[in-house]
Amino acid sequence: MKRLARWQDAVLGALGVLGLLIAWEAVTRSGLVNPVIFPGPAKAIAVAFARVPLRDLWEHISTSFLRILWGFGIGAGLGILTGTTSGWYRTLGALTRPVIELVRPIPPLAWIPMAIIWFGLGEPSKVFVIFLGAFFPVVTNTYKGMGGVDPILLRAAQTMGLSGPRLLLRVAIPAAMPDIATGIRVGWGLSFGVLVAAELIAAESGMGFMIMHARQSGEIGVIIFGIILIGAMNLVTDYCIGEVIRRKLGRWHAA
Amino acid sequence: MAKIEIRGVTKRYESEDANSGLALENVSLTIEHNEFVTLVGRSGCGKTTLLNIIAGLIEPTAGEVLVNGQRVTGPGGGKGMVFQQHALFPWLTAIQNVEFGCKSRGMPLNERKKAASQLIELVDLRGSEDKYPIELSGGMQQRVAIARALALDPEILLMDEPFGALDELTRIEMQGELLRVWSTRKKTVVFVTHSITEALMLSDRVVVLTARPGRIRQELQIDLPRPRERANPRLIAAYEEIWRNLY
Amino acid sequence: MKRSGETSTEGGARWPRLLGAAFLVTLLLLWQVASLAALLKPFYFPPPSRLAVAFWELTWEGFPEGVRIGTHMLVTLGRIAQGYLLAVGVAIPLGIVIGWLPILDSLTLPIITFARSVATLSLLPLVIVWFGVGELAKVLLIAYGCFWVMLTNVIAGVKYIDPLLIRAARTLDTSPIGIFIRVVLPAALPRVFAGMRIALGVGFMVIVGAEMIGTIQGLGALIMEARTFYRSDISVVGMVAIGLFGFGISAGLEQLERILLPWHRGLELVRR
Repeated sequence: MKRLARWQDAVLGALGVLGLLIAWEAVTRSGLVNPVIFPGPAKAIAVAFARVPLRDLWEHISTSFLRILWGFGIGAGLGILTGTTSGWYRTLGALTRPVIELVRPIPPLAWIPMAIIWFGLGEPSKVFVIFLGAFFPVVTNTYKGMGGVDPILLRAAQTMGLSGPRLLLRVAIPAAMPDIATGIRVGWGLSFGVLVAAELIAAESGMGFMIMHARQSGEIGVIIFGIILIGAMNLVTDYCIGEVIRRKLGRWHAA
Repeated sequence: MAKIEIRGVTKRYESEDANSGLALENVSLTIEHNEFVTLVGRSGCGKTTLLNIIAGLIEPTAGEVLVNGQRVTGPGGGKGMVFQQHALFPWLTAIQNVEFGCKSRGMPLNERKKAASQLIELVDLRGSEDKYPIELSGGMQQRVAIARALALDPEILLMDEPFGALDELTRIEMQGELLRVWSTRKKTVVFVTHSITEALMLSDRVVVLTARPGRIRQELQIDLPRPRERANPRLIAAYEEIWRNLY
Repeated sequence: MKRSGETSTEGGARWPRLLGAAFLVTLLLLWQVASLAALLKPFYFPPPSRLAVAFWELTWEGFPEGVRIGTHMLVTLGRIAQGYLLAVGVAIPLGIVIGWLPILDSLTLPIITFARSVATLSLLPLVIVWFGVGELAKVLLIAYGCFWVMLTNVIAGVKYIDPLLIRAARTLDTSPIGIFIRVVLPAALPRVFAGMRIALGVGFMVIVGAEMIGTIQGLGALIMEARTFYRSDISVVGMVAIGLFGFGISAGLEQLERILLPWHRGLELVRR
């Protein structure tokens, strides 16, 4: 199979997107669908900006972001801490792993009702659910990374006089970084999805809420705009994380 | 000033497969200061196990190893080691790998860099010091591994089939490199290999081990100056003798 | 402190499992005792005994009135099945074609990447506007979530086939169509299966969320409704049921993969 040059890839990609947008616009103008409930891309954005003042939009976005930063931060942090220590100290691992494995199959969203009972309808309940979204992928991948550390690296470090916690910090954890990085990336993506869902289901602010609210007032343009905005933010943040990982790990890690 | 005494070392492995039993049985050996000794034998004869015991990575079931009269209780402490799979830290560059050992010793930064730089120079890797292990060839990786082991200025250098994963030509080249480095920084070397030729080209003394149970079968003193000619009749005779003992 | 620095042989490592099991049992006992001693309020932390009773109730009487847990499960499963099969059925052929033709791959890559980044549940309001609050909306939502994940994996499976395999086939005089059917497709299968596993996980997550709005049947609806009526015990039972459900489905898929792909040691692509 012949692969294409990079510029050809880019041009085709742009063409694809353009084609899609044109088709979308064409369909809405053709009269096949009711343009009220199926607006074209241009109209959707126009309506959105008309209906939602920029200040409100900014508030929704920042609220959402704050939630996910808190939830992800705590989730990933705790996940790495748990994963590294549980992967290193067998006794601790024997205690924590079964508990984590048992709780893991429960989707974060399924915790929403209990989260509301425990934390009320405010921020903490949302942050909690997002925390769950980040925690499990991170801890699982971290644990896997710790288990995959080549024992010979540890042996080599031992012959250089390292042992105990220093061995863990200077050899085991760096060796496990590729898996930890994967966990972080997946965890972020999941947190994002959970954030949006949680805001749809049980919130008074944030981007998910904005979309849900727009549905009640029939502002389809706002809904579409919101969906695209969320998707774009997810894409951009994921790309940024990917880039950071590429920079830090790309040179030395065989993909 | 290292003298290694191996006294009656026995290692029994309790594994579930049929190969359990004595990896080593009552092995005794004395290695003199700055002597280059090679342990030769087929796979499974316990030579790597013995090396790991000397290194302090494994504990013997019976017997002991003394270094300078002190009992070996753990790894480190002047026993540098080079492995067959280079065991370089992939997230560090060549020179950072070499510096790693220095950091463990508590050397301040500028001293570390200087020492590491000298070692890179010694193993002839000037120009590649900022590359990551994945960017280096097999031979270069082992050079870094040797430099790293030397970074701690160990009294003893333990080498576990270090050139086993390299192609033949590189292996011969590395043997020469090792001898060159060794002549510059004399150490006591315990070298493990399954290649009789390699043992004869490098060592002062060749110790032949046979398997199941692991025992010393023979010791051969090689009093030839280095570098040695492969076609030297004395080496060929020695080769034949060892071969007969092993097979 | 014992660490896993030395290569661990799982054969003799029975004690970690026993320790883990003992720990879990201890936790459950503590939970129960704490509840009895009124240290934990049963509304916030329904004890195991309460949960057992609630489970019984769900099995025989149902919640809400008459809707048993079996029914909830079937409803949820039905929705997942429809959406999942729809997505997979379209994604596999489409993915194969796109993966095989670089031009198509380049054309569609940005679109697929973006579509995949769209949070599936964010589409819920839109889908409700277009299709109402019925079953169709939920099935389509699940289908959307599963589709893009599946598509990406199928494309990757076809795209990243070891060219060495194809070269080997050509030296064996295989026709182009023969190469496609007898080499490309089987070689892509492991990745396709991985995609199916991940897509199922996604579908599962989506439905649980989707059922929390506008429906009273289904596991997601169950736990949400239960909260409204202050039946936290039923909510927790529902959560556990969801967890077991999800676990069962993924275990089933893993078994299926083991049977259908005996040659392939399932590479652990990212586990969620």
